[in-house]
Amino acid sequence: MNDATDTQAAPEAKPATDEPLVDPASLKMTARNVDVYYGDKQAIDDVSIDIGMDNVTAFIGPSGCGKSTFLRTLNRMNDTIPIARTSGQIELDGEDIYDPDMDVVQLRARVGMVFQKPNPFPKSIYENVAYGPRIHGLAGSKSELDQIVEKSLIRAGLFEEVKDRLDDSGTALSGGQQQRLCIARAIAVDPEVILMDEPCSALDPIATAKIEELIHELRGKYAIVIVTHNMQQAARVSQRTAFFHLGNLVEYGETSELFTNPHQERTKDYITGRYG
Amino acid sequence: MSLFFLFALVIGLTAIGWFTARMRAAQLRPTDGFRAHSLPSYHGWYVALWLGLPALIFLAIWAIFSPGLIEQSVLADPAAQVLPDSEIERAAILGEARALADGSLGAAFNPEAEELVPAYQQASGFYGIIGTIATLLLAFACGAFAFLRVRPDFRARNRVERVVMWVLLIASLIAILTTVGIVASLLFETIRFFDRISPIEFIFGTQWSPTSTTFSDDPGSFGAIPLFWGTILIGAIIAMIVAIPLGLMSAVYLTQYAPARVRSVMKPVLEILAGVPTVVYGYFAALTVAPAVRDFAVNVLGVSSASSESAMAAGVVMGVMIIPFVSSMADDSLAAVPSAMRDGSLAMGATNSETIKKVLIPAALPGIVGGVLLAVSRAIGETMIVVMAAGLAANLTANPFESVTTVTVQIVQLLTGDQEFDSSKTLAAFALGLVLFIVTLLLNIIALGVVKRFREAYE
Amino acid sequence: MNATTASTDGRQPTDWKTDAMQRRIRARYRAEKRFRFYGLAAVFLSAGFLAFLLFTMVSSGARGFTQVQIALPVDFAASNIVIEPEQLDGNDREQLLALADFQGLAQESMVAAYGDDGQALFSNGAWVQLRNAVSDDPTLLNRSEVIWMPASTEIDFAARGDAGENQSEERLAMMERYQALEEAGQVRSALSWTFLTMGDSSDPTLAGIWGALKGSLFTMLVTLALAFPIGVLAAVYLEEYAPQNRWTDIIEVSINNLAAVPSIIFGLLGLAIFLNTFHLPRSAAIVGGLTLALMTMPVIVIAGRNAIKSVPPSIRDAALGVGASPVQVLTHHVLPLSLPGILTGTIIGMSRALGETAPLLLIGMRAFVPSPPDGLTDPATVLPVQIFLWSDELNPGFVEKTSAAIIVLLVFLLVMNGLAIWLRNKYEQRW
Repeated sequence: MNDATDTQAAPEAKPATDEPLVDPASLKMTARNVDVYYGDKQAIDDVSIDIGMDNVTAFIGPSGCGKSTFLRTLNRMNDTIPIARTSGQIELDGEDIYDPDMDVVQLRARVGMVFQKPNPFPKSIYENVAYGPRIHGLAGSKSELDQIVEKSLIRAGLFEEVKDRLDDSGTALSGGQQQRLCIARAIAVDPEVILMDEPCSALDPIATAKIEELIHELRGKYAIVIVTHNMQQAARVSQRTAFFHLGNLVEYGETSELFTNPHQERTKDYITGRYG
Repeated sequence: MSLFFLFALVIGLTAIGWFTARMRAAQLRPTDGFRAHSLPSYHGWYVALWLGLPALIFLAIWAIFSPGLIEQSVLADPAAQVLPDSEIERAAILGEARALADGSLGAAFNPEAEELVPAYQQASGFYGIIGTIATLLLAFACGAFAFLRVRPDFRARNRVERVVMWVLLIASLIAILTTVGIVASLLFETIRFFDRISPIEFIFGTQWSPTSTTFSDDPGSFGAIPLFWGTILIGAIIAMIVAIPLGLMSAVYLTQYAPARVRSVMKPVLEILAGVPTVVYGYFAALTVAPAVRDFAVNVLGVSSASSESAMAAGVVMGVMIIPFVSSMADDSLAAVPSAMRDGSLAMGATNSETIKKVLIPAALPGIVGGVLLAVSRAIGETMIVVMAAGLAANLTANPFESVTTVTVQIVQLLTGDQEFDSSKTLAAFALGLVLFIVTLLLNIIALGVVKRFREAYE
Repeated sequence: MNATTASTDGRQPTDWKTDAMQRRIRARYRAEKRFRFYGLAAVFLSAGFLAFLLFTMVSSGARGFTQVQIALPVDFAASNIVIEPEQLDGNDREQLLALADFQGLAQESMVAAYGDDGQALFSNGAWVQLRNAVSDDPTLLNRSEVIWMPASTEIDFAARGDAGENQSEERLAMMERYQALEEAGQVRSALSWTFLTMGDSSDPTLAGIWGALKGSLFTMLVTLALAFPIGVLAAVYLEEYAPQNRWTDIIEVSINNLAAVPSIIFGLLGLAIFLNTFHLPRSAAIVGGLTLALMTMPVIVIAGRNAIKSVPPSIRDAALGVGASPVQVLTHHVLPLSLPGILTGTIIGMSRALGETAPLLLIGMRAFVPSPPDGLTDPATVLPVQIFLWSDELNPGFVEKTSAAIIVLLVFLLVMNGLAIWLRNKYEQRW
C-alpha cells in the first residue's frame, strides 16, 4: 500500500477498534494471505478476511478488482480454470479447504454458489432442485426428496409461483424466478455458506428487490457472501462489506461504518463515485 | 485441322485481340481531351470476350455435331452400301474406320472398315475446313466489331463487368442444374420402372430376386423390403451401436478431460478415420474383419449359420468410419452448451462425470441427435464397405452374422455387368436410387433443423 | 457442524463425516474414474483401429512392391528370331518386335535351363521381358545373356514360406524347388518396376498400378478443371453479389443438399445423363471426371464461401471507398485474401474425389483395362476402383497387390492433406 493518498488514512485496513470484526463464535470461513494467479498475471494479492455465520458479507469494488475471483476461491471453483493457481490458506470451520485431503465435491456441497447469470439446467423445475440432493444422496426416498424440493422452493420464495408446474422446464421461468430457482437449487443440498456472484446483475429492479428480500430471510441460516458492483445493494443487504481494488482487500468493516466513514482514501473515492 | 488446334488458335487470337485493343486504348488516352472512362485493360477484355466467346461457343457446338455430319456423308458413300444392317456391327465398323482414318489404329480387323477410310478422310477433311473457316470468320467479325468500339468515352468496364456477373450467375446455376438432373434422371427411370412393377410390390414386397430378362420374360421379384432392412440393420443399427458410444465418449474425453496437448494430437488422428477411402475400409472389412467375425460367431457364440459375408463385419467397420462424424458433432454440441451450466453443476458439488452425464449431455442432446441422424444418412448411403463385405443375398434376417444386402449394394449389382439399359433390372436400380436420395435428403433436413434450433436455443 | 446451521424446519444438517456418506463419496469418485477411463478407452479404441488398419495394409502391402525374379540364360543369337539389330532402327521396329516369337524363345530357354517343367517357375507373361530387353538393347540379338524374369505365383508363395492351408504336395514340391534355386543363387527379390510402370493384368506377378494411376490423374484433371472454376465462381456470386431472393435461396439449398447426397447417386446421374443421354464414351476418364466434378463442386463452394466470408467487410469498404468497381474489389482484394482457404477446401474436396469408388463403378470404370489410357476418352480405371477389382480376384497373389495399391492411394491422400494443412497454417490469417 504505497499509494501516496493512503498515507493520511488510518494505519491499517482494519477497523479502528482492536476487537475482531467477526465474533469468534460465529466464525465460518477465514482466509489468510491468499494470492491467485491467472498464468503470470496476479489477480488477488495477499487477501486475508474472516467471514461470519451471523451476517451477510458483501464484496464491492470496481469491475476487474478481483472480488469475483476471490469469491470463487472460497469453494474452489477456480480449480475449473486450468491456468488459475491459488496460494495461501482458506479454512472452513478450521479445515483447510486447499488441503489435499479436502474433498472438493463435499466442499462445494457445503459452500454453495449462485452465479451472475441465472443458469438453471435445461430440466424441469423439480429436477433442477432435486439435482443436488440426488447426486449427494441426501434423500432416502422419493417422498423425502419431494420434501426437500418443496422446502427449498419455499425458502427461496418460489414455491407459491411454481407449485402447479414443477414439471415445466426451469429455463421457461422469468429471469428473476430463474435466479431464485438457482438459489433453491443451492439451498437444497443444505449448504453452510452460500456464495452469490452478482446475483442481480442480469435482473430487472422488481426481481432484484425479491432476491434482496430473500437474502434478508436467509440471513442467519447460512453464511452469505455476495459480490456486487452496486453499492446501494451492498448497503441494503449486507452487514459487513469488503472493498476490493486491483486485487487488494482495501478495507473491511461494518457496512454502516464503511459507507459513512471509510478509513481509506480509496474506499472514500469509490463510494463517493470518483471512480469505478 | 483438329479441334484442339482450332481451340488453341482461337485462344491465341483472343490474346492478340486483348493486347492490340489494350494498346490502342492506351494510345487514345493522351491525345483526347478528357480522361477515358475505362482503363485500357478493360478495353482489352472487352475485345477479347467478343473475339473469343462466340467463336468458342460455336466450336463447342460444332464439336458435338460435326461427327454426326461426317458419319452421314460417309454412309452416303457407295462403299457404305455393303455395311451390315445390324446397328451394333455397323457402329463397330464405323468406329474402326474412324480410328484408321485418324491413324490411331494400325491395321483393320474388318475389311469393310478399310474400304470406308477414304470416304472418312474426305468427309472429315471437308467438314474440318468448313468448321475452321466458320470459326475464324466468327472470331474476326465479332472481334472487329468490338475493336471499332474502343473509344475514350466507351464504357468498356461496365460491359466487361456485366459479362463477369453473368458468368458468376451461370456458375451458381450449375448447382441447381445438378439437383434437377439428379431428380429428373431418377424420377424418369423410376416411373418407367413402375410401369412394369407396381410400386406397392416394390415398397412392401419381401421377395427380392431380379432375374435377367435376356433368357426369360419373367422379370423376377422386386420386393425391396429385404434391402431396406439390410440397409437399416447395417447402417442404422450395427454401425450406430459402434459409432455412438465410441464417438460420443471420444468427444467427451477430448473436450472435458484430455490435456490440451493430447487433444491437439488425438483430434486430427480421429479425423483421419473419416479421410480413409471407403474402398480401403471395404477391403479391410472383407479381408480381416469378416473372417474374424465369422470365427468368433461359430467358435465362441456357436452360431453355425454365420456367413463369411456378414452384416456384422460390414456394420462394425462402417461404424468405425462414422466415429469421427459422431464425435465432431458431439464435440460441437458440447462446446455450444454454455459454460454456466457446467459451473452451476460443479458448484453444487457434482463430479465431472456427473456434470457430463446429467447436465452437459442432456443439454447437448438435440445437437448430438442431429449429428447421429447425419451419420445415419451417411451410413445408409455408403456403398463400398457393404459391396465388399455385406454380400448379395437378400435375406430378411435379424441375425447379424448372416449375409444381408443393402440398397447401395443392389444398385451396384444391378448396373454392372452387360445390361441393356431399359431392362427391369437397370430401372430398378434407379428406383432404389430415388428411395435412397429421398431418405438421405429427409434425414439431412431433419438433422439440420434439429441442430439449428439447438444452436439458436443457446444464442 | 455449527449450531447455527440447525434448520428451523427441523431437518438435521447433513453430516458429511458419517461412514455411509464417506462410502458414497468414494463410490462417486470410483464412478468418476470409470467414466474417465471409458472416455480414454474410446479414444484409444478408435485410434487403435486406425493403427491396426494401417499396420495390416502396410505389412501385407510392402511385399506387393517387390517381385521374385529367376535368372534365365537366353541365347538370342541361336534363336529362330532372325531380326538384325540394325533393322530395329527403322520405322517398322514395333511391327518387327510384335511379330517375332519371343514367347517361343522364352519357353525354349526355360526348358533348357530348368527342365521340362521349367515354365512352371515363371510368370505366364514373363516372355514380354525378353521383348522389352531387346527393344532397349538391340545388340542383345547377337549374343547370349542372363535375363532376370518374374517368377510364377507359386514360386512367389514358396519364397514367402507359405505352403498353403492344406500343405498340398505341389506346394511342398515348389518350396523344395525354390530352396534349390536359392542355393544356386538363381533367384532374387527385387523392387518390382512392373508394379509401378504397368497396367492391369490377370496375372498378379505382371499386374501394375500405373494404368490406374494415370486414369486417376486424368480423372482428377477433369474434375479440377471443372469443379474449381465453377465452385469458386459460384461461391463468389453467392457471397458477394447474390440478391436476397427466392432464386438465391434455391441455389443455396441445392448446394447444401448436394454436399450431403450419397456419392452413388452421382454415379446414377452420370450413367443416365453423360452415358445414356449424351453418349459420352463408357469407362472414360472424362465421364469419371465430370461425375466427380459435380460431387466435388459443392464442397469447393462451401469452403470458398467460408473463406470469402472471413475477409472482413472493412477491406471491401476501403476499396470501394477509393472508387474501385465491385469486380475490382473482388479481383484485387477479396479473392487474393481468401485464396488459401479456397485452395485448402479444393484440396480436401479433390482428395475425397480421389478416394471415391462407387459412382465410378456405375459409369463403367470397373472394366479390365490392361493398357494405361493415353487420353481423356480412352477406357480407364482409377486407383480405388483398381483396388476394388483386385480385391475381388481369386488368385491369392493379388492380396498383396491390393494392399500395395492401397498404400499408394493412401500416400497420395496423405500428401494432398498434408499440403492442405501446410497451406492453411502458412497463409491462414486471423482478423
